[in-house]
Amino acid sequence: MKYHSQSFFYDDPWSIVSLAYFLRYPNPYASHIISCDVISRNVTPSGTLQTTRLILKRGSLPRWAPKGIISRAESWVLEESEVDPLGKTLRCTTKNLEYTKVMKMEESVFIRQTEDGQTAQTTEARVLSGFGWGLTKRIESHGLNKFKAHVQRSREGVSLILSLLRESRLQPMTLGGEPSQLNLDPNIQESKSVSKAQNSTWARLKGWVSTPKD
Amino acid sequence: MAESLLSECTPLKKEYDSCFNAWFEGYLEPAVSASSSPQKYSEYSQRKAEEFQQKCGKIWEGYRACVQKALKEKGLDTMLQQSREENPLSRPPPLPPSGSSSS
Repeated sequence: MKYHSQSFFYDDPWSIVSLAYFLRYPNPYASHIISCDVISRNVTPSGTLQTTRLILKRGSLPRWAPKGIISRAESWVLEESEVDPLGKTLRCTTKNLEYTKVMKMEESVFIRQTEDGQTAQTTEARVLSGFGWGLTKRIESHGLNKFKAHVQRSREGVSLILSLLRESRLQPMTLGGEPSQLNLDPNIQESKSVSKAQNSTWARLKGWVSTPKD
Repeated sequence: MAESLLSECTPLKKEYDSCFNAWFEGYLEPAVSASSSPQKYSEYSQRKAEEFQQKCGKIWEGYRACVQKALKEKGLDTMLQQSREENPLSRPPPLPPSGSSSS
């Protein structure tokens, strides 16, 4: 089994980072996400929110991957998360559901508020191959290297969503909600009519994200 | 892109996601402080849960039914079941407590 962990900080408060984390699909850094569905969701007696999502990812196989063992480059992954808005923590675990005899890979993300109002994210990966045939080490190293590249892209994706959220919060409305009744300024009036045309900030956010400018 | 696993569920998923996102934004910033009693917070969070049920419950039922049907059709329900049964990696060592300082 191989293990890897890395941490970094966001300047934004925990609630906005957590929102961005939940909104991260789709984004241009996650074009490998084919589908994403909520399988179950509930508020626990202690007030946390538990969510299970089923995600289909497009991946590329290494050249040395045993032929016939893995028949296609798409795979299902299960994401289980728990959000605690009072303790300001978010935990999210993702693991592959298929080819688990070849390789089990589990990613755990822990996002928490620090004392100085920043947000810290720790991402851990565990890779376990039971394949044998002299390939175990190679499969585990491959999995871990893929993970390291993925963490960086994932971070860029969340950062992009964060910047869009910051921008949208400068306007008097909430995601998917009714536009605010405050209209102190003719420019705001104008932005309201834009938002009406596209339904909500959330819809507009999604529009920006799915059609990247570059 | 983040479609549903079955294209006919995608409109329901989008409607559900929008409803959830609007609620979730408020849920992340609770109107009670961390110092309030656990009971008070519990009451508050149950109210939030009811509010979600009220606003998005119907949409969720429609979306969930669509996805459940798709899971059965694609044979994914057994895969999900299996993953719940065999799980050698599911007990990660505890993460550092949120109070610990890291520099």
